[in-house]
Amino acid sequence: MKKLLYFIILAFALPAAAFSESVRIAQIDASGLLFKQKIKLYVSLTDDSGVPLKNAALNQFSVFESADNRDFVEIPQVTDFKIGENYEQGVNFLLMIDNSGSMYRSMEGEKASDEAEMRITFAKDAVRDFLKKTSPMDKVGLVSYNSFYNSHSKPVRNQAEIQRHLENIEKPKGDAVFTEIYGSLLLAAEEFSSIKGRKAVIILSDGENSPYFQNTKKDHQDFGKRTVLYDEPIKRLQMEGISVFAIHFGREGNKKDENLGKIAAQTGGAWFDARNDHELKMMYNKIMDQIIFEYIISYNATMSPAEQKYVRLTYKGSEGEYSANQFYYSSSVFGLPLEQFNFLLLLPLLLACILLWLITLLKFESKKQTPSLEVLSSKLGKVLTTSIDLGRETVFIGGSEKADMTIIGVPAIEKNHADIVFDEKKNIYTMISNGTVKVNNKPVKQKQLESGDIINIAGTTIVFDSGEK
Amino acid sequence: MSITLRKIIFCFVGLLAGLAAWPVAEIILLFQVSFPSYLMFSIFLGAIFGLVIGLFMGAKEGQAPSNRKSLFNRIIAGSLVGVLGGAVGFLIGQALLFVLGEYFIHSGRAHSALGLPLSRAVGWAFLGLFVGVTDGVRSGSLRKIKVGALGGLLGGILGGLALQYIGIFIENMMYARFAGLLLLGLSIGFFYGLVEDRLSFGVLRLLNGKFKGKEFLINQRKTRIGSAGKMDIQLNQYGTVADFQAEIVSKKDCLLIKSRDEKGTVIVNDSLINEHELKFEDVIQIGKAKMIYLARSL
Repeated sequence: MKKLLYFIILAFALPAAAFSESVRIAQIDASGLLFKQKIKLYVSLTDDSGVPLKNAALNQFSVFESADNRDFVEIPQVTDFKIGENYEQGVNFLLMIDNSGSMYRSMEGEKASDEAEMRITFAKDAVRDFLKKTSPMDKVGLVSYNSFYNSHSKPVRNQAEIQRHLENIEKPKGDAVFTEIYGSLLLAAEEFSSIKGRKAVIILSDGENSPYFQNTKKDHQDFGKRTVLYDEPIKRLQMEGISVFAIHFGREGNKKDENLGKIAAQTGGAWFDARNDHELKMMYNKIMDQIIFEYIISYNATMSPAEQKYVRLTYKGSEGEYSANQFYYSSSVFGLPLEQFNFLLLLPLLLACILLWLITLLKFESKKQTPSLEVLSSKLGKVLTTSIDLGRETVFIGGSEKADMTIIGVPAIEKNHADIVFDEKKNIYTMISNGTVKVNNKPVKQKQLESGDIINIAGTTIVFDSGEK
Repeated sequence: MSITLRKIIFCFVGLLAGLAAWPVAEIILLFQVSFPSYLMFSIFLGAIFGLVIGLFMGAKEGQAPSNRKSLFNRIIAGSLVGVLGGAVGFLIGQALLFVLGEYFIHSGRAHSALGLPLSRAVGWAFLGLFVGVTDGVRSGSLRKIKVGALGGLLGGILGGLALQYIGIFIENMMYARFAGLLLLGLSIGFFYGLVEDRLSFGVLRLLNGKFKGKEFLINQRKTRIGSAGKMDIQLNQYGTVADFQAEIVSKKDCLLIKSRDEKGTVIVNDSLINEHELKFEDVIQIGKAKMIYLARSL
């Protein structure tokens, strides 16, 4: 009779999890913000034993938004309210199995020679059972950790592949036997960061965080001499929108990592105790249920300007009101506005318009009053005089220093290469040369010049302007 | 006006565009909360912002010898294309900002130092791109669209980065936006001028008359020369020039000048032509205007 009573008590007591009735915003999807004004919340609602509450009504929830995390405005209307959508859409699971030395002991913590008695065997069985219950839309990844983080597979839909990897997890050797829990969660968050959709890490541990460097005084391959503290993965997991579900696997009184519970609670997940292989399978199933039966609550976002908006969700339960907070990104290309309008703002607009108008009045006229020669460019030599006004006297162009326009450094140019001669009777200028000269891209010896004619002497380009008449 | 002066004016007009767009943007931002959705807000803000930038950039080539009507048409066309470009560009930019911003804010990877500047720069790049193509769309020139897109894109990226990084050092976001928008306008003007020059087939430089020294970039497949306001190279006060007297057409590896008016004459190197393949330093005479062709690499 005593034995029967013991089992009845045990049956009720054993599955008890380390949490109370709660509401959590597990994830926010803001991808519909720009085109639909839509924000989608993944909400986990559980009773005091961690079982999902599936019958909550819309009127039990209230959603609030705030630009500063202080003044919250209630959202007048929820546009969509569903439960169980995660089953249809699929969830990304990352299963983290403790593969430290202690996992190769019996449940009582003693050395085990029979593989069937080892904790790792129970863990593998529970994972196999979990894999059978995943939906075809779910993706599952597998990681084992001890002193080091060992990623066997990124989340995939192929469960057979995960099973294969599971069988390949081997007993650690040498100084790989320690348990780098926080560091491994940090690396898991990084590995999970590029994956979209609902993301959950399920971590199994049979003990406490036992950092590699503290035990061996050797540099860790990922963290060196650094000891990763438990709040580091919390921040990272929160930013990635990943919820952690932690299972402590061990008999009553076995050492367990209390901070793992904090990590789970602060990332929108939960913490469970499993004291035998049967409970372990139950906990994996419970986690699956909690995620599948998350509520999806959608609403139209407010327009108050903010770099990030804070969301508060409240739930009126039978025993009181519970709330949860999260945030999403909401900045505009221009950033945040001024606090109030200032009439001085109009001054730059006025100034810009006036200056633009003044620019449009610019003529950029540059007509020469007198006849002239002006060098446009010189490819070979150097021109000592780049512009000269033409009078009534003949102008000499050549390599001589005495020339009116001297071009030096070009052997092909004669000392007196070309003359510009003025005819007073006809009031015209004529170019005369014995050497090679082009006028308007044609070789000539003599040419009556017109305004705008181009004279090219061995690569030096000169423009003739007759001046304003 | 030389090409260098033209680039300086583009920069200055870009600067003015940024100066004018800043208060307009500030005023619209003040009313963000009054908009029904981010979509409407983004479209409106982008359209008005594009209108201002487009209006100013449309006027960037409005100096003499173009007539007032031509200037007015450029401004109107620039504004209209700017409205469309600004709305589309801003919408794309905002969408990217949300996506990238969400990624960076949740990944925690140097959000303020890298994530936001990068997100905004991409957003502004699209805005710059669409505003930059205004002149090309107005003139129906694919090459000008390419020039504007590239110039606007580069300007937008630089301006967007500046806006965010200045914001890191200047706590008051208003001044950060002011500096950022000035730099955005300046960058669009600068890069537009730079890319326009680099991508041009060549330059025609006026050799005589009232506007001696003015340079025209040949950066379209077809460049029209005449006295009408809609001409790409408008020749007024150079004797008798027909409304549409000549056209420069770019072929695969050469530029051809063609006469387009039977009454008018086109003279190249002192010879009357109907069609002529342009070579370096050819001298074109239309009316009393003489222009030298300075080739670029095709």
